Amino acid sequence: MTILGLRTQTLVWLAAGAIVLIALPLVVKTSFAIDIFIRILLFSFIGIAWNLMGGYAKQLSLGHAAYFGLGAYTSTILQINFGISPWIGMVAGGVVAMLASLPIGWLCFRLRGPYFTIATIATAQALMLIFLKFRDFAWGAEGTTIPNLGNAPLMMQFEAKAAYYYVALGLLALGLLITWLIERSWMGYYLVAIGEDEDAAEAIGVNAPKIKRDIYMISSFLTAMAGTFYTQYIYFIDPATAFSFSISIEAALVSIVGGIGTLWGPVVGTVLLETTSTLLQSWLGGSVGGIQLTVYSLILMAVILWRPTGLMGVATEAYHRYVRRHPARA
Amino acid sequence: MWETLAQAVINGLLIGGIYALVSIGVTLIFGVVKIVNFAQGEFVMIGMYISFFLANQFGIDPIVSLVVSMPVLFVIGVLIQHFLIRRVLGPNDMPQIFLTFALSLLLLNLALMLFTANYRTVHTSYSDEAFHIGGLYIPVAKLIAFVVAMGLSGALWVFLHTTDLGKAMRAASQNPDVAMLMGINPNRVFCVALGVALALAGAAGSLLMPFYSAYPFVGQTFVLMAFVAVVLGTLGNVIGALVASLMMGVAESLGIQFVGADSGLIVVFAMLLLTLAFKPTGLGGGRAR
Repeated sequence: MTILGLRTQTLVWLAAGAIVLIALPLVVKTSFAIDIFIRILLFSFIGIAWNLMGGYAKQLSLGHAAYFGLGAYTSTILQINFGISPWIGMVAGGVVAMLASLPIGWLCFRLRGPYFTIATIATAQALMLIFLKFRDFAWGAEGTTIPNLGNAPLMMQFEAKAAYYYVALGLLALGLLITWLIERSWMGYYLVAIGEDEDAAEAIGVNAPKIKRDIYMISSFLTAMAGTFYTQYIYFIDPATAFSFSISIEAALVSIVGGIGTLWGPVVGTVLLETTSTLLQSWLGGSVGGIQLTVYSLILMAVILWRPTGLMGVATEAYHRYVRRHPARA
Repeated sequence: MWETLAQAVINGLLIGGIYALVSIGVTLIFGVVKIVNFAQGEFVMIGMYISFFLANQFGIDPIVSLVVSMPVLFVIGVLIQHFLIRRVLGPNDMPQIFLTFALSLLLLNLALMLFTANYRTVHTSYSDEAFHIGGLYIPVAKLIAFVVAMGLSGALWVFLHTTDLGKAMRAASQNPDVAMLMGINPNRVFCVALGVALALAGAAGSLLMPFYSAYPFVGQTFVLMAFVAVVLGTLGNVIGALVASLMMGVAESLGIQFVGADSGLIVVFAMLLLTLAFKPTGLGGGRAR
């Protein structure tokens, strides 16, 4: 039996996974653990947004913090200056990011490969500088705190930490759904073709500039949603956090470590990296500066040198070996 | 007014010489090995720390410690090419970009762990000296750095154009397949390219030490400048990178002088964006990649 082209077995696994994830905050109630779960959900989602463009089309951006920051600032400005709910601000932030991706993409897509990557870094840094310099525009370098309204679900503020968990889970589900839909559509094939060889894709009639522009818009929109959520979650915004280079790095890192250009890659990568980071912090108490990124960079190098397909690639190989040995059970 | 302008141009040219050493390294690696070394700035940082420790422990002048930092970084470059970069060369961009990027993250954070984020400075006898010509002010340390940087750039040009190995590198840069058919061993040429590029970064680090502080993130400023200069000067072009670096130095210095002390970076980004918008193939023309 198949539903939406999914086999019963897959559906059962998905349902079981969903139930476990929904029940998780009811079982594990410590605020420390829920905080880690929220980080995992959020960075998986950001990784998924990055992966649409960086993974499938191999447009390796290191400037997604630009859209994270735009989403965060749009919803915060709307909320503080105009009293508009961050739920609306989240969509507005997505639209702003989408529109910003047009001129940024127009500039950056003129370059390919590593120089595209550098151009994206520069645009994100330039945006951060703009928000740092123009203080009457958005609080300058000091940033601002989000007014605490207590329990106000309509303003995306909750007393229970678990509520934030469910919002993040919803975002992740949205990201996975969009990726899954794109993967199965013509656009997914176009993206992979561009990622494999852009010139060859164009030669067989793929309108590469248009496809790249479109996927950049989708990717920016989703990244901006994450920015809004994160700001509401930590009740604070400043240019250094909202446009932090480490957001751009982590978005790419989780996808590459997990498996670039795969549906579940960013999720797997985030689970590994965030777990590693939590363990390191509990062992060393966060006393040694730089240890987390040292370990991240070693993991990244190991993946690139030995398994460029990431952990998903390792899992797929293992699955194929298993199927070859036990053909009946596949 | 004219004096302020001339002073800003001089300041820009002097620091531009250091930018040139970093940019030439980036463009040399890009031209020959066809990868962008995201970690180039971290090798400037390593050069600075080498000079700092030699000055601190043995009282060796930072400029003199060039004779240590350059060979050490040359060897590091050869090892990195042989054991890391060689394994990711191929048609796929992802491993190449993220290997050197991971290397940059690793070196930066190792430095943070080993040396902490503190600023380290070396005070030399000439650190505060300056020539006064008319109303203009030329700091001795920066002048030495500029002269040595130009000397090294010139020496590289001579090496690339007169020696067999240099010619082999240029050949590999222009057409790797034909170069290989002519009996040029690509890995050997790539190793030398990495070694020379890193040695230049190390030299930049040592030359900076008399007038600049060493800290783990120091390379980031220089590598950003170098990337812009390399795009501006046409990818893979050594002379283009040199000229563009001097221009960047002057532009940054004019920005600081006439717009505001912290606007140097804004000028750099503006130049990058303008280059991308109007001349993505660089000032020298040629093909964008």
